[in-house]
Formats: sequence, C-alpha cells, structure tokens
Amino acid sequence: MAAASAMSSPHKPRRKTKKTAHFDANVKPEALVRSPSFPLEALLWPARTSLSQWETLPLILMAAGLFRWAAGLWGYSGQDKPPMFGDYEAQRHWMEITTHLPISQWYFHDLQWWGLDYPPLTAYHSWLCGRIGSLIDPSWFALYTSRGSDDPTLKIFMRATVIVSEYLIYIPAVVIFTRRYSRLFGVAQWPASIALVAIFLQPSTILIDHVHFQYNTVMLGFVVASMSSMLAGRYMWASIFFVGALGFKQMALYYAPAVFAFLLGTCISPRINLARFFGIAAVTVASFAILVLPFVLGSIYDTSRGIVSRPDLGGAHAPLPIFTFLSQYLDTSAAYYPVVEQIVQMIHRVFPFARGLFEDKVANFWCAVNVVVKLRGYPAELLQKASLLATLAAIFPPCAILLVKPRKELLPYAFATTAWGFFLFSYQVHEKSVLLPLLPMTLLLAGKQGLGKEVRSWVGFANTIGAWTMFPLLQRVGLKVPFVVLTSLWEYLLGLPPFSTSAYFPKGQTAAVQWATLLIHSLFYLAMTVWHIAEQTITPPPDKPDLWVVANVGVGFIGFSLCYLWCLWKLVQESGLIGTNKNKVKTK
Amino acid sequence: MHRTTTGAMSETYPTIAQCAIVATAFKILLFPAYKSTDFEVHRNWLAITNSLPPWEWYYEKTSEWTLDYPPFFAYFEWLMSQIAKLVDPAMLRISNLGYDSWETIYFQRTTVIVTELVLVYALQRFAESAHALDKRAAQAAAISVLLSPGLIIIDHIHFQYNGAMYGLLLLSLVLARQRSTLLASGLAFAALLCMKHIYLYLAPAYFVFLLRVYCLSPKSIFRIQVANCVKLGTGILAVFATAFGPFALKGQIPQILSRLFPFSRGLCHAYWAPNVWALYSLLDRLMIFVAPRLGLPVKTEAINSVTRGLVGDTAFAVLPEITPRLCFALTLLFQGIPLLKLFNRPNWDAFIGAVTLCGYASFLFGWHVHEKAILLVLIPFSLIALKDRRHVSAFRPLAVSGHVSLFPLLFTPAEFPIKTVYTIFWLVLFLMVFDRLAPASQRPRFFLFDRLTIIYIAVSIPLIVYCSLLHQMMFGKRYEFLPLMFMSSYSAVGVVVSWVGFMFVYFTS
Repeated sequence: MAAASAMSSPHKPRRKTKKTAHFDANVKPEALVRSPSFPLEALLWPARTSLSQWETLPLILMAAGLFRWAAGLWGYSGQDKPPMFGDYEAQRHWMEITTHLPISQWYFHDLQWWGLDYPPLTAYHSWLCGRIGSLIDPSWFALYTSRGSDDPTLKIFMRATVIVSEYLIYIPAVVIFTRRYSRLFGVAQWPASIALVAIFLQPSTILIDHVHFQYNTVMLGFVVASMSSMLAGRYMWASIFFVGALGFKQMALYYAPAVFAFLLGTCISPRINLARFFGIAAVTVASFAILVLPFVLGSIYDTSRGIVSRPDLGGAHAPLPIFTFLSQYLDTSAAYYPVVEQIVQMIHRVFPFARGLFEDKVANFWCAVNVVVKLRGYPAELLQKASLLATLAAIFPPCAILLVKPRKELLPYAFATTAWGFFLFSYQVHEKSVLLPLLPMTLLLAGKQGLGKEVRSWVGFANTIGAWTMFPLLQRVGLKVPFVVLTSLWEYLLGLPPFSTSAYFPKGQTAAVQWATLLIHSLFYLAMTVWHIAEQTITPPPDKPDLWVVANVGVGFIGFSLCYLWCLWKLVQESGLIGTNKNKVKTK
Repeated sequence: MHRTTTGAMSETYPTIAQCAIVATAFKILLFPAYKSTDFEVHRNWLAITNSLPPWEWYYEKTSEWTLDYPPFFAYFEWLMSQIAKLVDPAMLRISNLGYDSWETIYFQRTTVIVTELVLVYALQRFAESAHALDKRAAQAAAISVLLSPGLIIIDHIHFQYNGAMYGLLLLSLVLARQRSTLLASGLAFAALLCMKHIYLYLAPAYFVFLLRVYCLSPKSIFRIQVANCVKLGTGILAVFATAFGPFALKGQIPQILSRLFPFSRGLCHAYWAPNVWALYSLLDRLMIFVAPRLGLPVKTEAINSVTRGLVGDTAFAVLPEITPRLCFALTLLFQGIPLLKLFNRPNWDAFIGAVTLCGYASFLFGWHVHEKAILLVLIPFSLIALKDRRHVSAFRPLAVSGHVSLFPLLFTPAEFPIKTVYTIFWLVLFLMVFDRLAPASQRPRFFLFDRLTIIYIAVSIPLIVYCSLLHQMMFGKRYEFLPLMFMSSYSAVGVVVSWVGFMFVYFTS
C-alpha cells in the first residue's frame, strides 16, 4: 500500500488523508454494509476484504478491456458506406496523409476528402499510428489508393490503436484520479474500485470510441489527468495536461473556462500568489509553443526545400482563409510568411467559424428551439451573438464559484456544469460532445457518497439520456445491439431504472424532493422506453420524416437541462456559499 | 483472515444469476465474432430436421456435415427449427450451404445463450445442495463453471451447444447427491447419452455408482434391490426407446451407428489434443534425430505426415504404431482403477472424482480425441476442486493447460485478445479465489508440486507469445506445425501432471 501511494506521488511526502466523512451524519462506513445495494456492488463483494488494490485493479482493467474489444467486433461508422464513409475513414485518412506528406501540407491537403481539422496532437498521434500500421501492411495507408479501405485486418489494427491509446492515457488518468478524489473524502478503497468499474463501463464512451470509432478518450484522458494534477496540487502539470487535451481535440474548450477559473482562483485565494500565476502562465504558453513547434519548424524546413503547402497553386499563395486583415501587413515572400500561413490555416481548420449554428439534430437549446421557431430565418450574426451570450450566462455561475472558492472537492461539479453550459447553448455542437459533460459527472461516483442514491441516480440519469440521444447516430450504422447491450448492462449494474428503483429515496432529503426526483426521472425513463417502441413500430408521416429524431432531441434537451441544473445546485450546495457553519469550517 | 471476517450466515455474493446476466451481455457482444464450420454444421442440422421426415435424417448427405449426433440432439434441432422458421426460413433449406445471414447468426447465437440456461439452473441447484459451511466454496465453483473460458471459446465463439449438455450432465451429477433423486440422475444421464455420445466416456462411473448405491443394498453388496433395478432398467430402456425406437422400427440402427462411430478417423485430431499421444508423437519426432545413432529404422514416408499438423492418419516414424484397440484397452484400464475405489466407498465426492478420472482416462488415452473434450475433465473436476488445498493443487495445472490447449481453435487475430485476456482474467480470478476458499487438508501437501506448478504456469506466457506472435514474425508460414506441437505438448504435460496428482489425491483421501 505504501509502495502504491509512493508510486502515485514520487515527489511529495505522503499527505494525510482528509477525513471529512465523519462530519456528515449520513455517511455510513462501507465496511459495515451487510448486503450489496446494487448488482455492481454484489459483483465486487468478495473484493471487500482484499488488502491491496493490486489484486482487484488488474481484474478490473482486464474486464474493461474485454468489453471494449468485444464491442469493437461490431461495425464502425461508415463501414461499407461509399462514397464518403465516416469517422473511421477520417481517422484512417489522417494516418495516410501524415505519413506520406510533408508536415506543411497536412492542413492543406485535399480538404474535400476528410481534410485534417483537429489540432496538432491528433496529427502527431495519427502519424505515429500510421507509421506503426505501415510496418504491418503499407497498403493500409498508401496515398490515394487506400481511401475507403475496408480491410478487416486494418479494422483490427485501428481498433487496437484506440484501445492502446486509451490504456496509455485515459485509463491510468482515471485510476489515479479516482484514487485521489476518493481519498479526499476518506472514501475507502473498495467503493472506489466499484466507482472505477462504473466509470470504465460508461456506455457512451465505449459506444463512441470503440464501436462508432474515434479517439475521444485520449482527449478526455488528458482532461482527467489535468483534474487529477489539480487534486494533487500540481498546477503546472494540470495546465500542461490541459494543453494536451486542447491540442488533441478542440472540444476540450468546453472545460477551458472552468480550468481557467480554478487555476486563477488558486493564485488568488487564500492569498495572492503571483509566482504561481506567472508559473502557470509561462508553462501554458510554453506547452502551446511546443505543441505547434513541429509545424513552425516543418514549414520553414519545407520552404527551404522548395516544398509549398499548396503545390496545386503552382507557386502562388492562396489568400488567408481568416484574419484577412493581416494580409495588408504581411509580405508573402518573407521568410516568416509560410509559418503565419500555416498557423492561420490550422486555426481556420480547427475552428470552423463559418459553419451554421448547428448541423445535425443535437439535443441542445438551439435545436430544440428550432422545432418551435425556425431559426433559419434569422441572420447568422445575430444567432452567433445570442449563442455566445447564452453560453456565457450558462457558464458564468460555475466558473465564478470556482474562482471564488477554488476547492478541489468542487472540480467535477464545476467541470460538469461548465461543459453542460457549452453543450446546451454553444454553436456547432455534435451529439458526441455529450461525452464531455458526462465524464466529470460520472467521476462523481468516486467522491463523497458517490455510490449513494442521490449521486448514483443523477449520474445514471445523465448517462442514460446521453447514450440515448446518440441512438439515432448509432442506429444509422447498424449498432443497435451493442447500444442496447452496453446501456442495459450499465443500468443493471448500477441498479437504475428500468431494472431497479434502488437508487431512489435517499436518506437526508425531504419527502417532496425524493418523490419529485423519482417522478421526474421515471417520466424520462418512460419517455425513452415509449420512444424506442414507437421508433421501432411506427413510421413517421411523410411530411415529418425526422419526427423521432426531433422527439429525441426535445426530450434529451430537457433532460440535459435538468442535469445542468442539478450539477449547478450541487456545486452551490457543496461550495458552502449558501451554506451552514459546517462547510465554512472545512474551507479553512 | 478472509473467512473469519465474513460469517457463513450471510448470503453469498455475487449470486449466480447476477454473474449470468453480466456474462450474457458479454456473449451478445460476441455475436459478430469468428465462427467455425460448426456453425454451418448446426445450421445444416436445423435444415435437415426441419425439412425431412425423421427416417431420412441419418441418410441425408447434401452437405459434408452430415448428422452425426444421437437422436435426442436431432429432436433438439427440430425443436429449434420451429422457431427458426419464423426468423429466417432461408436457413432451413438444405441446399443453402454456408448460409449465414445476420438473422441466422442472431438466431443461432441466441439459441446457444438461451439453452445454456440449463447450465445456470444446474449450477444453482449445485450451490444450493452444498452444506452450509461449503456454500461459499460451492458458489465460487459454480460461478467458475458458468464463466468458464472453455464455454466462451467453444460455444460462444467457435459455436457449439456444450453449455446445454454440460448443464444436463451437472444436473444429473447434482441429482446423484441425494438418495431420493438417484433414479432421476440415472435417467438424466441416459437422456444426455442420447444427445451426445461423447458422454459414454463417463458412463463407467455412473454404472458403478448406480449399481453400488441404487441397485445393491448399502449394507451388503450381495443383496440386490430388485425394485430399484427394475425401475432403473425400465427407465433407461424407455429413454433409449424414445430416442432410437422410431429409427429402430425402420431398421436404421446400423446406419446411425456408422454415423456416430466413424472408426476410420486417425489417432490424433486436426490439431493435437493435449494427451499422451501428443507426447508420444513429440517423442517420435525427437526420435527421428536420435534413431540413426541408435541404429533404429526410420520410416521416411511418415516424417512429413505429422509435421504438417493437419488431418489425416498419423504415422509414426520410429515408435510403434498405436491401434484403436490399444487406446481402448488403456482407457478402460485407467478408468477401472478409480472405479474399484468408488465401488468400495460409494459417496458423492468419490463419485464426482471417479467421473473426473473417467474423463481424464478417455481424454488422455482415447482414439481421435478432440481438444474440446477437455471440458469432460474440467467441468466435473470444478465441482470438487475446492474440497481442500490438495484438490486445488491438482486442479491448477489442468485449469491452465486445459484452457490454453483450446487457443488454437481460434486463430483469427480479432479473437486473439478475447481468448487470451478472458482466459487470463478467469485464471487470475478463480485461482486466487480458490486459494482463499479451499480449506487446508489434513494430509501433507506433495513435495514441490505447487512450486513446479508455478513454474509451469509461468512458462505459458512466453509460450503463448511465441506461438501467436513471434513464430509468425520469425518464420512466416513455414514450420506451421511447430507452434501447434509446442502448445499441445505443453498442455499435455499439464494435463498428465494434473491427472497423476489427482489420482494420488483420490486414492489418499
């Protein structure tokens, strides 16, 4: 045990675990529990008395891996769907271009065919995977000829890259976060292990990354690593990891205000700490610089070799796609110009400002409102401003609380609330973005009373609706069975509806709240069940072909709004702002 | 430490049902996994039983996968085909060779999961039948069988219906635990024999046990309980008459027998089942290099046969040929030895031990043994493996070698992580649990046995890495027999060691 904790914090002496548990009359010491209250607890029942986490952890990791790999036996997005295929082809194509083209052309190459539109770290990751894959079979990533490849062995390789990337980043990050976060509240090791299994088996993550195909867990893993470093008080590491997350997938911006608020808050309270502030700022800037450095050096080197980013233009320079005002100050023949062009193009590709408010049907505010009021009639500028204002309004409360009270216990709540705010109100949201608010919310399972009824019922609620709003996406590519299996399994394991109502009527709540929660949640579970039956049996009328998707969006939006409000409410409650003396004592 | 903290009175968690639910989720995820020709075999049988009258079932040969299981299994297929009709009638056309629409896959994979409920039920009965003190151990053993990598690999990936049939076997074994259900136990076993005749290998143990405790008086072996004999005799006759009667009336018994017992097959199956003949073949291969120095004659035409590791008659280059008669005699001999003890001390534990040893003898010495038959040893052994630490010691090498020997069944890269990680998961979990739960034995442990087992287990890791990765990288498609030979020889050592160990335990406890 001592060895284990030494491994997780090599630089600092072992900190005393804060025992906040005994302040709370509702906390029951887990060792005295006589019978499991939900199936996952029962499955890990024999591990209750195990002395070391090193007995259960390998088994948990193997089980999580087995479910991921088995789910990966199913099809991927865009399989056998020419002409454009899908996300799988996008990722494979990036491996193709990064391994074959000079770095200065990565963001410029044939943008109509899944042009690279993720930040640099994804490009480097694609390059690495592509190099390894080319060792096995170069035809998988051959330039041009490999487009839309459906080689079954390639599928296995691609699935393996997802799982290996996840086991290198996301899984260790979550293991360490869970350990630190549960110790913060004096939660014992056994319930923390249960929370770990629940987090690993979160259906949406498996369905999107291992079945539908993407590498979200790499980004999410960096975010968890960042949160974990915040818990350990290593704020510079936190910013490095967060830059890693942003550098892998721009969607991590959903968390950025919360990260900023927390890090700034730690520099202000309990006393102003300028050294820390400048340290964090310097490290952040340096990490960004290192992140784009290969592109800067690459474009300089390529220019010196006579390689241009757009060989199709025959030496001429294309106008800058954005920041066009810069053109009057820049000299296109200067030595620095390729670098500027490169960076501007990268920003242009990564942040698609020019696109509309929303694309597909997403369960957020704009899409839901669009059902009632047709937003297409309004000018795009107005909508973008409205979206910006609404998002700012939604993320202001959590960030303000975190800034004023930068307490580690609050991190998952604040991250979740902020991410929900972005998901609900910002523009260009994708249904898969729901993974972002779901992650910190699910991490709550490892915290104070995390397996208790209140947290479990709300985390379960959010995850169920989250997975359900992705059903249309999964169904389109024939992934109904893994969807049903993975979501049902998770709900069963955590004792959630429709399998059990064991997560309702928590102690310490008034009867009105208990009943209201049960009623509201039941309505949603019922609505989802009815929706599934209706969607299977009734064909929508010809003038409303998207009826079921729209219904899904409407219900999903209301459900997610409730999740936002719950996270915000818990954040306010736990921050002690409206609090009792008890909470004030703790903040000292 | 572990046992003192939790009393025996609390209910044991996780329950069998909870494990079955989680396992079912995993098995459904495996639907698109690799499936062997056995999938087509069973589809063909669905088609035969559905579209032909029974008296043509055993003559139909459009597909090369003719019906070669006894009639109850054919009836079982006929029953399932009634539902298959509603799912996708195309799978029931005999001429539709190799048909595997998504509906067909969903349907056939689902039938495996659903019929496995027999096993779940039998395991539940087994856990309940244990004495209060042994309940936790019994439940752990039951769950280990339920989650067995053998069943995952053979049934849910490779494709077969072992879950249902081993379920029936376990039910029969559990029924034998109480005097009042002995008759039912015998009849259940008779029914099982009419489903799949491989269980004939276990029949001697049943014969001796039922003879001793049911047909003869418990007090004296010279007093025959006539009423019981009549009941058992007519019962078994009735079961066999139901199965074979309709075919006997048409005079088809010789045809059925020729399908059930194809004696023309070779000594070793397509792969080498890890039994003594695998070791014998290995020795023969090694002798090729040594024989010239010893002046022994080497049959040159035999050298190429085994090295390909493929189906066909195994020919030995140096060592004498093995005849089916010799296999049969050795099997009977090593089955007979434990049965003598069973006859003397006919209690349930000894009966399960004898069933296990019958399985061992037939697996180790049988003619044309398939590696899947290791379940005949593994599953009965699981029921008594937790009796004390000496039993666990004998079980350990079997658990490793038995499951590792199944790996060559799945050779596709997508299933490689499943078979290896799942097996390691199962071994780590249950060997750890078994170690904790098994009580100490009154007798001393065998000298060095456990340490050698640890070395044996450790060797498996580089071996698997070599056979599944390194060999291909080093030699490509050349020497394909080599990994198979290593695997089966390695596994054979484990099975033989565990057999010797268990024989010893059986005769000294």
